[in-house]
Amino acid sequence: MSSKNDAKGKAANTRTVRFNIKRCDGPGQPSRWERFDVPVQSSSAGSGSANVISCLQWIAANPVTIEGRKTTPVSFDCGCLEEVCGACTMVINGQVRQSCSCLMDSCAPNDGDEVTLEPMSKFPVNRDLFVDRSRLFNDLERIRGWVPIDGTYDLGAGPRETPEQQQQRYKLSECMSCGCCLEACPQYTLEPDEKEWDHAFVGAAVISQTRYFNMHATGKELAKQRLDVMSGPGGVSDCGNAQNCVKVCPKEIPLTESIGSVGRQTTIHKIREFFMGR
Amino acid sequence: MGSNELRVIVVGGGLAGLAATVRIAEAGLPVDLFSLVPVKRSHSVCAQGGINACNEVARQQGYSEYEHFDETIYGGDFLQHQPPVYEMAHMAPKIIDLLDRMGVPFNRTAEGMRDLRLFGGSLYKRTHFAGATTGQQLMYALDEQTRRYRSEGKVTAYEFWEFLWPVIDVDGKCRGIVAQDLRTMQIRSFRADAVVIATGGCGLVFGQSTNSVMCTGGAASRCYQAGVKYANAEFIQVHPTAIPGADKLRLMSESARGEGGRVWVPAVKKDGKWAPHPDSGRDPRKLDEATERWYFLEEKYPAYGNIVPRDIATREIFSVCMAGFGVGGGNMVYLDLTHRSREFLETRLGGIIEIYRKFVGEDPAELPMKIFPGVHYSMGGLWTQYAPKGDLKGMVKGDPRNMMTNVEGLYAFGEVNYQYHGANRLGANALLSCIFDGLFCGEGVAGYVREMGADPASQASASMYDEVVRREESRIKSLLSSKGGENPYQIAKELGAEMTAASTVVKSGARLEKALAKLEELRGRHERMSLADTGSWANQNLNWARVVGDMLALADPILRGGLMREESRGSHYREDFTERNDERFLKTSVAEFDATTGRSRITHEDVEIGLVKPRVRNYGKVGSKSKTKKNEPATASA
Amino acid sequence: MAQNKSFLEKHHFLLRRLHSLAGVVPIGVFLLFHLTTNASIVWGAINKGKFEGVHPGAATFQHEVGFIHSLPALILIEIFGLWLPIAFHSVLGVYYATTGKNNVAHYKYQGNWRYTLQRISGYIGVLFIFYHVATLRWHWTFLVPGGTKWSGEWAASTLAAAIQGSESGFTAMGVVVALFYMLGVSLLVFHLANGLWTAAITWGLTISEQAQKRWGYVCAAAGVGLMALAWSAVIGFATLDYEEARLAEERVRHGEVTIVTESQRADAGERE
Repeated sequence: MSSKNDAKGKAANTRTVRFNIKRCDGPGQPSRWERFDVPVQSSSAGSGSANVISCLQWIAANPVTIEGRKTTPVSFDCGCLEEVCGACTMVINGQVRQSCSCLMDSCAPNDGDEVTLEPMSKFPVNRDLFVDRSRLFNDLERIRGWVPIDGTYDLGAGPRETPEQQQQRYKLSECMSCGCCLEACPQYTLEPDEKEWDHAFVGAAVISQTRYFNMHATGKELAKQRLDVMSGPGGVSDCGNAQNCVKVCPKEIPLTESIGSVGRQTTIHKIREFFMGR
Repeated sequence: MGSNELRVIVVGGGLAGLAATVRIAEAGLPVDLFSLVPVKRSHSVCAQGGINACNEVARQQGYSEYEHFDETIYGGDFLQHQPPVYEMAHMAPKIIDLLDRMGVPFNRTAEGMRDLRLFGGSLYKRTHFAGATTGQQLMYALDEQTRRYRSEGKVTAYEFWEFLWPVIDVDGKCRGIVAQDLRTMQIRSFRADAVVIATGGCGLVFGQSTNSVMCTGGAASRCYQAGVKYANAEFIQVHPTAIPGADKLRLMSESARGEGGRVWVPAVKKDGKWAPHPDSGRDPRKLDEATERWYFLEEKYPAYGNIVPRDIATREIFSVCMAGFGVGGGNMVYLDLTHRSREFLETRLGGIIEIYRKFVGEDPAELPMKIFPGVHYSMGGLWTQYAPKGDLKGMVKGDPRNMMTNVEGLYAFGEVNYQYHGANRLGANALLSCIFDGLFCGEGVAGYVREMGADPASQASASMYDEVVRREESRIKSLLSSKGGENPYQIAKELGAEMTAASTVVKSGARLEKALAKLEELRGRHERMSLADTGSWANQNLNWARVVGDMLALADPILRGGLMREESRGSHYREDFTERNDERFLKTSVAEFDATTGRSRITHEDVEIGLVKPRVRNYGKVGSKSKTKKNEPATASA
Repeated sequence: MAQNKSFLEKHHFLLRRLHSLAGVVPIGVFLLFHLTTNASIVWGAINKGKFEGVHPGAATFQHEVGFIHSLPALILIEIFGLWLPIAFHSVLGVYYATTGKNNVAHYKYQGNWRYTLQRISGYIGVLFIFYHVATLRWHWTFLVPGGTKWSGEWAASTLAAAIQGSESGFTAMGVVVALFYMLGVSLLVFHLANGLWTAAITWGLTISEQAQKRWGYVCAAAGVGLMALAWSAVIGFATLDYEEARLAEERVRHGEVTIVTESQRADAGERE
């Protein structure tokens, strides 16, 4: 569990990766670029590949730019480092993804390779690569993203479920609210003003969660309210079907199927409402 | 804030914190929920394998809640107080039902029932699971219920806020907390009539672990430094199967073994004994199953095989590697699932298979996984009390004492609570204990707060709060102005390396002493830091520098507790005291912080063992002197 | 503006779905018929053998146009069945399109290209339709190189002249017009085919990835068919000889040439 590395060994299996990082000191502040040269160990010794996180940690401990200027450590958001919490999402070489699963072995395999890091552009920047995704959680609240149970006291088991439906729900439930689908969506826009949140497009993650909750026997109880949101401004009909969401989803959630499904649900919901009243 | 309104603060938004939040909000008390991260991103999402509970299938095969209780005690090497464990095991099936009602997508059988899998330390299938991301699924279900209360205004969440210190009044009662907004860096106090600490483990003290980056133990350490006792610190679970990485060790769930995963190393037989394979780095698929693969767990533990508890599996893996059997001569063994079909792996273990593929770049359906033990869980934590029933079979429901620390009104739930797991936690019991604490003991918190009605925190004097705020502000000022040249990242790195070397799988008195000396050095250097960032907006550098000090404080009882415990028990293995010593050490280590030296004072107190008498714990190891008392069923279903 | 916004928000779903529907019916259906009619300049040639010495495509086309112009209350059909739906679809479509921001530079997926192209084809399509209707239907001849005024009486020949830039073959500006026609119809056909594909998701007809893929093939096939019609029409008129067309038109009007389908043949027989 300990790693021994003499100076000679280090030189042999270390390469330098140049990081171009878009930095910003706080909301409303201008952004600037800073460059860092980070030594990266090759992963041959069974130590695992370096990733963007380990490189950012290295920069935090050695915050000096390539010009030799001392700067502040780069702020970024991260948590589990194994792609289940969704925190460390950022734009790497122009594409949104989790930085923990961006391994140097694959994204910068050679000495001198460059890696560009930017914060997600669809969320307000707190600082550097650290953004504020509260809108996403706010939208989950808007669609009533929960199963309305009677309380936490012992009332027996939940509804039975076929393995097929469980597999379908499980896949949708893996959504970690990372925001990749929103960043890549041409219809999802940056809305720093909370007042806009109620009618700006909610994006694939929230549409998919709507489907998830509407699939559950008890969750269905709130389906009408959810579909009211989904058929309103910013709902599913604002989707432009570019389908980038499903391509960038790290959990391979069938987001476009969810969009189709919620599309159908809103169609039926509105036709029913038209003929039968609310 | 209303004049006489009673409030509860929950610090930590993982499973324990959210379960507590939901239960307390349901009881009608407003809750302020504090979390370093949006609660949905809490470390509980990393739990993979499942959650244990007696179920109808197992029951009809002879299992029961009592068996679950007994397994947990046996797995924990008899170090835990038995009444809380008894209560937990008996509430477990109800917790599963509740989670089921909340919509957790538990895997299903063809008939639509909840599916079950085998897990370490049991011969019965009693682990409920949702793929291999059970923790994530349970977290989301509780996050959703919390969201419901948030939307109703009953819960106020403070996300990206860091807990700094508990506010304790002259009578020793906890009356609120001081916390800091991680964006604006504002420090302010919050009043509450009870505070629940549910801040998880402290894996980062060991540098690399399976834990998330916020699992520094910082909040627990601050409570400890504020006078809360810290118990069984030396019991740190090292998970047998993790994959190494540059930034962390990634967990490969015990469910991999529960679903049939076999652990082996390349080896050859010489004179009837296994010896390291001369070409152990060879393509594992080309090694002959009978003559070139040593399935050492199956050979040594015929009854449990690969599903021995974690402490045992870890030590066995560690020792075969030390003996030179490691894959390619390194510190790695094979965890083999290649005999399982791809479809089976995808539906039951999808989450971890994907992690392995993404982070190692190999397909576990094709090639055996290469794994090594990694620091995973802290059995120890803040010392808490409980109210046992007269016959010791459980706790008194709704009693305010349940899981209250020695500071009145300050509770510890979940991993940060030292109860339930003794010297070694069984796999899939952590999710259970977290939710159990929240639901069962949350009621006690509500009861306590109602009793406080006559003297609500909202009426307490403001100066008490202001004083703590001022102290925290001055602490930050001194950190920002310090110009000693030391780097907090370097200190943390050295701490992690030292802790890992001295206090994980195999410990010794001499090594622990050496580590304590190193700790002394690091504490000194922590006083002489220079921060690269002295700004006043989202300064992560500052937060890190501060928490490194708290990790140093917490490292002390981990090392000192281990040094004082001159025996081997569960996860704690001393090569200079290899046997369990019930006479001297069937006791809880209790650490108290000494503010003048920064060190801990350790005392020992008795463990409540009124229900199950300690017996030899060897999991039927071949060649061990005595059999375990309980008759284990011969059919260890695979 | 505020009121406008609230109207849009209040009827958000209805407007979105009407927008989608209008694209299919009537606009899509009209496009199908319109292209089929115009492509008769080419497919009319199937009956070449039946006519003596006249351009069969021009004759067929003239007959089709004659039929359309014989419809009662044509102007009302045009206004309510065509111009208003197209205006509605265009105005709302442009507004919706401005709510997005394409990012194909970073995400070069095929679906994303189609998303972007759907919007571009919408913008250019609106311009093209406007030019097409303004020059030919409303006779804004100042926009027609050569100044040809399209006439339903001389449907094929005047159209050929309008596209070619003169009555005597291509001029330089005529080439530009012909290319604009080629581009316009191509984009509109793509817009319809891709629109059919997205509409099925929007309305929830196709949900599974498989279904979306299969419907995609159907839309692509429909697109290819329409594209064939569209290109034949443009190429047919761009290469049509003015005088030859003139002759055919004259003879159609004087009933000297009859058209080919069985029913029409039967019709013609009865009339005689």
